[in-house]
Order: sequence, then C-alpha cells, then structure tokens
Amino acid sequence: MNAPAIYSKVFESPAAALEGISSGTTVLLSGYAGVGVPESLIRAVIQTPVQGLTCVCQGAWPHGPESVDLAELVAAGKVGKLITPQGFDPAQGGVVKDLWEAGQLEIEIVPQGILAEQLRAGGAGLGGVFIPEGVGTRFQHGEEVRSFEGRDYIFKVGIRADFAFLRADAADTVGNLVYLGSQRNWNPPMAMSARITIAEVDQIFEPGGIDPELVVTPGIFVNRVVQTV
Amino acid sequence: MPGLERIDSRRIALRAANELVSGEVVALGPGLPALIPSVFLSESGVTFVSESGAVGYRAPGGSSVQGEVPHGPRVVDSSGQAAVLGPGGSFLSMVDLAGMIRAGYVDTAVLQPSQVGADGTFSQWTSASTPDLLPPSASVELSRGVRRVVAMMPHTTPDGQPAILPECTLPHDGIIHQGVIVTDLAVLRVEQHGLLLTEVAPGWRADDVAALTGAPIRVASALVEMEFEVPSLLPVSKVYSSGLDAVRDMPGGSTVMIDGFAGPGGMPHYLMVALRDHGAKELTMVSNTAGIARVIGFGTPPGRQAIDHSILIENHQIKKAIASYPVSPSPARPSAFELAWQQGEVEIEVVPQGTLAERIRAAGAGVAAFYTPTGAGTLLTEGKETRMIGGKEYVLEPALKADYCLIRGHKADTMGNVVYKGTSRNFNSVMAPAARITVIEVDEIVEPGELDPESIVTSGVYINRVVQRPADFSPYE
Repeated sequence: MNAPAIYSKVFESPAAALEGISSGTTVLLSGYAGVGVPESLIRAVIQTPVQGLTCVCQGAWPHGPESVDLAELVAAGKVGKLITPQGFDPAQGGVVKDLWEAGQLEIEIVPQGILAEQLRAGGAGLGGVFIPEGVGTRFQHGEEVRSFEGRDYIFKVGIRADFAFLRADAADTVGNLVYLGSQRNWNPPMAMSARITIAEVDQIFEPGGIDPELVVTPGIFVNRVVQTV
Repeated sequence: MPGLERIDSRRIALRAANELVSGEVVALGPGLPALIPSVFLSESGVTFVSESGAVGYRAPGGSSVQGEVPHGPRVVDSSGQAAVLGPGGSFLSMVDLAGMIRAGYVDTAVLQPSQVGADGTFSQWTSASTPDLLPPSASVELSRGVRRVVAMMPHTTPDGQPAILPECTLPHDGIIHQGVIVTDLAVLRVEQHGLLLTEVAPGWRADDVAALTGAPIRVASALVEMEFEVPSLLPVSKVYSSGLDAVRDMPGGSTVMIDGFAGPGGMPHYLMVALRDHGAKELTMVSNTAGIARVIGFGTPPGRQAIDHSILIENHQIKKAIASYPVSPSPARPSAFELAWQQGEVEIEVVPQGTLAERIRAAGAGVAAFYTPTGAGTLLTEGKETRMIGGKEYVLEPALKADYCLIRGHKADTMGNVVYKGTSRNFNSVMAPAARITVIEVDEIVEPGELDPESIVTSGVYINRVVQRPADFSPYE
C-alpha cells in the first residue's frame, strides 16, 4: 500500500508564490527595523505590473543599503496606501515622504498595539474587541467608547487581508514556521489574518524536521512556502 | 545659561536608570531610552522589553555579554539597533507584546517625548511639519498600560524653545499619570498638581531651569544636584520552596484558574494538593473540566485515584466552577463535581471551550470584552448582547480574570520562563497572564539562560512563583 502523499506547500520561486496577487490587493508585510522582512517577495512584487497595493506594515523606514524594505516597494510605485504605526521618518524624508506630499500615497497611522490586536482579532475569528489604548487621543477616531469596570475602552473591529508576506527562519513543507530572534515580530498575528499567507524562509525541511515545541506558527495558517533568494 | 554645561546623553541615561527598581519589567522606547541597558555594568536586575518584541535584552558589548552571541539570533531594540539577549530573555510577537503592556505587566515605561505638558500629556517622535503622520510607535499602549513613566528628553528643542509646556502644542499620544522627567538640565516629578523640580544639573540653579521651562514649576524644598552613579540592581528569584509556600497567602473567596485538559496529564497535581492542604474555601474555580480526569482515569494504577480538581470539591473548597466540561462523560460514573452539584453545594457556569480560552486570553491581554461568533443563537448566549459585524452575528463576551492561577510546565528557569511538553501546554499558556498571582509547578528548575529562548512559550514576566514538583510526588493517591 502506498503511503498517502503529503501535500507540499512549497513554491518554486517568490514570483510563482505571488500567484493571484492583483492591483488594489491588501497585503500584510512582516518586519521590524529591517529584521524579519520578506525581502525576496518584495523584490518579486516590484517585478510584477501590480499597482495600488494597500500595505499593512510596521513602517517604511529605510534600513541601510543592504536591506530591501517597504520603502523600496513604495518607491517602485506599487503602493497606494500604507497602514502603519510608524509611517516614515519625518526627519529623513525620502521618496515615501515625497510621494505622500505629492498626494500619491495615502498613509493611515494606527498605533502598534491597536493594529496587532485588530489583526489578531480578525485572525481568531472575532468580530471586534474593546481595548483601552488610544482613549482620549487622536486615535479615538470617533469610535464607540464603552466603560468596563470603571475604565474606558474603544471598540475596534477585527481586520483581515487578502495576502500576508511572512519571513521566518525555517519551515517544513506543510508550512510550520520557526522564527529566529526579533524576526518573530509581526509574523504570528499576520499569519492568521490573511486569506493567502506566504512564508519566505531561509531553510525548508521535510515534515518532522522541525522540533514541534519550537513551532510558533502552525502550518494551518500558511498556504505557501518559498525559499528566500 | 551661557557658560553652564548641560549633561550628556549617557548621564541622562544613568540618572534615568536610577529610577528603576530590582525585578521590574521596563519597556524602553526608541531614542534616548535605548541607552539605558548600556549603563549597567553587567547584571541589570530588571527585565527590559522592547517594542521589537525582545524581552530581557541587553546592550551589545557589555562586559558580561561580550562574544556571547556572535552568530546567534538577531535581536534589535526599539531604535532598531543591535542588542543581545541576556540570560532568561525571550521573544514576543507584536500581539503578545501589546497584550503584555495592555494587561499591566510592564511596571515602568521609559520614553522620549518631544513635548510634555504640565498636565502629564505628552507627544512622542513628532514634528509639526507632518501633523497627520506623527508616528506614535508603542507609546500609546505604554502610557495607558504602565504604572509609571520615566521621560528622557532634552529640556529644550533644537531651536532653543521649551519642550516642557503648560500643554502640548502637538497632538498628544498619551498621559503620564505617575512619573518623572529626566532632562539634560533637571529632574522633575509629574504630580497631580503639576511639575515639581527635585534635582538640577551640576552648577544650575532652580531659576535657570525655570527660565527654560515653558510650564510653571514648583521647586522642592530639598532641591539637590543630579548624581550619576551606576545603579546596582539584583535579579529576583521566583522559586518557592514548596507548593504550600506558594499558595499559603490565597484568601478564601478567591477566583483561581487551574489548568488541565481532560486526562490526568499536564495538570498541577502538586499545587492542587497544596491548595487542599492550605484549605482556602469559597473559591471560584476556572478550568476546562471541573475534574473528570479521575473518572476517565486512563493509566491509573489499580486501587488508586488520579489527583484532579475533584480533590478540592471533595474538600468543600469550591463554591462555583466556570468550565466547559463540568460533567463526567459517563452517567454511570459521576464526577465529584456532579455529586456536589446534585447536593446543591456548588454553582456552575458553562462556557464553550473556545470562548473560555478567549475570555481568559482577553484578560491576559488587557482586552475588556470581544465579539465572538461562537454560540450565537444558542442557549449558551441567551440574554447576551449581540452585534452584526460584516453581516454576521456575534455575541459580546467579557474577559475572565483570576486572583490566582495554578499551572504546570515542564521546565522553568528561576525568572519564571516556561517550556511545556506536548499537549500539556493546553490552557497553561493562556491562563498564565490572566491572574494577579500565577504559580507554576515544573518537573525541573534551571538557571536563566539554560532554556533555548526560542522554545520559551510563557515569558517569566507572567510568572510570579515557581515550584519544583518533588521527584517522588505521585499524581495518584
């Protein structure tokens, strides 16, 4: 009797892994300060004709000549809107600032914890959450405020996206992911909250090749795996 | 003041570091706060948390860590600068990090505001040229979640204008309810009635500082000059000598979470026995089952019974259970809880397993309530508020927190970082952050640094007490 074949989620190249992405798509991108950035996937998107992406990410701050980051995707004219806690570095300026000032790029600032919780809520199938941060600040945005046990909380809806681009250290062929150091950052909540989650990794193992106690993101959340190039 | 020197960044960091207390969890924001780890000679005695998700990190090149992680994981601090993980450090995702802050686990936040108002409001990383885009980073969570803020900042802006004002002219990101401002000229306490000048830089007089401050300040009667000694803080061990020692202060009437799935594995048997010995009564118990391992009993040696939540029910310590699976799977073998319920001794609140986990998770992440689709339109959610979101019906469920939490891990270090084994993880990692005092029972206690940081599931930040399960302890009696 033949053993049942294990379905492999590995794609042959970053370009191949982008199948289905189109202009106007919402993409979640992991990465913090140049660590855990899905660089090969970003380079592959730059080579496609898509435009007007809505990108949810930590920010579009350049992190040195060796790293590929969101700023490059913006510079390549691929991004119509950024949803981000950090935006860009107002002191440095650069192409992101230029495009924003020219009205060619929309930027929505969402504090880090609010964004993380909204992604997590969307990923966990919740409709929304009441969280305390932002009450009484410019991030209240006229949303419902309700008091629980004498403290005010804001209602925030769960959010989901079309695609998520992750960056992990290793995956097995069914998409279980292991991170390294600060690489973990946005990956776990983003993995849960996209229709198609693509993980770019440095190493790919057969199932069983990763210590199960080290798996942070289960393969259930990951649709495609691709080797970083 | 011409001729008077302002203190440099390193001395601002030294002075700010002296505000920290041994054993504290300290979140460091970008900018000047990122210098704080570098002023400690070796052991900092506090746990530094970065908005990058690093927990327990240090400055690279510090005397005790030089060469420690030459090819190790890449760790960055809140400024995106390289850091290294100290012994007992670990990594959080952005969602776990935000939850940790929101739920109040960070004692002190050290931030660099660009402006502070006399009312405690502050703006961070802002510039008036791009008011719509002021990146708040994690300061919005931090100023809400922490008990105390230490602000490090230049006393004046680069063009010489006061940065401490009657109120912020830039949109504010949060409020310092309790805190201190350390500048290159002075130390000011943020108090309910305004700012109190307590220290001045060497050579400076209160009047000189007041002249460069935009807000009215009061001058402390005991005004002194700032000092810049290297702080010496010691790490705090969370190890308790016995289970009873670790639960002895639990008052009657407490709400206590106790982990476990169904079978006898992965439960804090030793702590449950300790709680029985302690004898606290009128407890509300939150657990997945209200004790069915004993009736399921697989693997139980002949003539003996598995220890589970039943021992607390039989000892008449439980007033109410909140559980997803309160009854035995077999009517022929009722559980201790069922028998007590039939006698009218206990109350029950039945919550579906996923909702139970989510309610506990919400408490541990500082979320007050959430809308879940689970149970909508069924008896379980009768009378509860519902809401249509995106065309789907959701039910509002509140967070569920506890006074104490008794859980079981495989190994912990003395700082309380935990690794689990197999399915014994179950409710442990969800419950750990949801109680005021979390006690963990483990098979083995190790020194900080002995656990692979990538394998740590529950951060020691959530654990208050660690107890070794004795090698000869039996989960059957």
